[in-house]
Amino acid sequence: MTGGAIIYLEDVTVDYDGFKALSHLNFFMDRRELRVVIGPNGAGKTTLLDVISGRVRPAAGRVIFGHATDVTRLRENDIVALGIGRKFQTPSVFVNLSVWDNVELSLKRHSKGVFAGLWESADAADERRRIAETLERVGLAAKAGRQAGVLSGMTDEETARTGELLMAIAADRSVLVIEHDMEFVRQIARTVTVLHQGTVLCEGPVAQIQNDPRVLEVYLGQRKETHAVR
Amino acid sequence: MPKREWLAVLAAVIALAVVLPACNALPAGSPLHVSNFTLNLFGKFLTYAILALGLDLLWGYAGVLSLGHGVFFGLGAYAMGMHLMLEIGTKSVYQTALPDFMVWNRVTALPLFWRPFYSAWFTLLAIVVVPALAALVFGFLAFRSRVRGVYFSIITQALALSAWLVFNRNEMNLGGTNGLADFKTILGFSLSAPATQRGLYVVTVLALAAAYVLCRWITRSRAGKVLVAIRDSETRVLFSGYSPVQYKLFVFVVSAVLAGVAGALYAPQVGIITPAKIGVLPSIEMVVWVAAGGRGTLVGAMLGAFGVNWIQSWLTTSYPDLWLLFLGALFMGVVLFIPDGVVGVAARLAQRLPRWPAALRHREMPGSEAATRTPTP
Repeated sequence: MTGGAIIYLEDVTVDYDGFKALSHLNFFMDRRELRVVIGPNGAGKTTLLDVISGRVRPAAGRVIFGHATDVTRLRENDIVALGIGRKFQTPSVFVNLSVWDNVELSLKRHSKGVFAGLWESADAADERRRIAETLERVGLAAKAGRQAGVLSGMTDEETARTGELLMAIAADRSVLVIEHDMEFVRQIARTVTVLHQGTVLCEGPVAQIQNDPRVLEVYLGQRKETHAVR
Repeated sequence: MPKREWLAVLAAVIALAVVLPACNALPAGSPLHVSNFTLNLFGKFLTYAILALGLDLLWGYAGVLSLGHGVFFGLGAYAMGMHLMLEIGTKSVYQTALPDFMVWNRVTALPLFWRPFYSAWFTLLAIVVVPALAALVFGFLAFRSRVRGVYFSIITQALALSAWLVFNRNEMNLGGTNGLADFKTILGFSLSAPATQRGLYVVTVLALAAAYVLCRWITRSRAGKVLVAIRDSETRVLFSGYSPVQYKLFVFVVSAVLAGVAGALYAPQVGIITPAKIGVLPSIEMVVWVAAGGRGTLVGAMLGAFGVNWIQSWLTTSYPDLWLLFLGALFMGVVLFIPDGVVGVAARLAQRLPRWPAALRHREMPGSEAATRTPTP
């Protein structure tokens, strides 16, 4: 089962003082898959990401990345080094660094230790090319020298294009998206996982999920809210 | 560093390390004469500037506010002081090989931990290693337990208080409340000779220049960017694959070493080191220097250390009652009105000036290949 999987959560339970944010959760994702996770408030969506990124250590269960690495034993930054990045809900950039520097710090590199950071990397030219490419891709090349803090929020059109960007990114990566906006989910999703009370309620293509009576039930009376929260 | 900045450092070093001592060597009647007192005072201020650089690296860049840097300053100063005490030898008041205060305290043999300080080399090593180790252990425990922000500041304050209490105790064999004083010679040179003081002053200028170059090297590197990123969002740094603990520990240790070096240069120039220099109050004063000069600029920290202390030495002689009021007003004024300090205000003024400074700024932009494509407004 883990053959094609990039990440595999097995019987994961997260317990916050008696409240089970995740309860015997089994979840797996294929390589180069773009997966969207939805679910009502308190379903455990954020906790799922917390477990994968090492922010929360589960009380029970395993989280296998790749073939055999159990990430529950690793620290957050070591998990990033494995290749698992995380973008938080709130826009989080380093406001006092330039757009260019923001990207530079996010680059995957051999060592992210302080002593390696004191010296220019050996492949600095290659690095600059990768930074420039990334900026080009996200449409920020013209603002590379600006302080990231002065960038404004996104217009509706730009939000729509975020979907395209995500799909482009997922071409050679696995992407896990947590999203409330069903419009957006329809745009990007192939497979959707619905979480409810810390466990997987159902999983499948968007159209099927939207008509699943169980999903309608857990969302009943909350549909408006899920549109408003973003 | 860009060439212009090297030239600026060189110019400052020449002005402080060559011109000023030369003026000091002039006969007293000359209009350009700089008195021994003034030169000595400047030497003291410059040691503070070394400490302020380290504090700025820690607070201004990484956003870690230490209210206990007096401790590291004290460790360096006491290490140097112990060596100088031993150098006095039998020329002390009681003419025994033991420092005078030990004679008063009826200590009969030199405590074991004093002995290595007979060696000048060991002392030089201790000046760097002792503050570094102290910072390493303290920082590791604090950062590892994810003590952040104001909580970190509070425990460094507690560190300053407990260090002050410990150094005050006679049982520590460090001179108690009176500290270490009455130094006679350093490496055989008489400390009362103007030439020795001039030499110490020049060494201080060079140490300050080296400290500045070191700090600039760090802040211009990718590690320096990570420090700023930690100030902006530590969580984001962690999830970008960096260990904030490691970076904060590194910068905490560097700043502690700079404080230790500052203390070691302070002791022979001022001639005394007491627990009063390492407690809570002096530690907070150090923070005020950096805040007043301008955080996160390095230059601001040096100017702040120099400026505030210059004002202090003038106020405490002319209007002794006003000093503490002034210090309080200064801190509140800076926090309320100019949070980016004197240098920040100057930079903002410069930005309002037309054209040419803007042209200069643009050339320094990181990622400049891409930046040049931006149409200039």
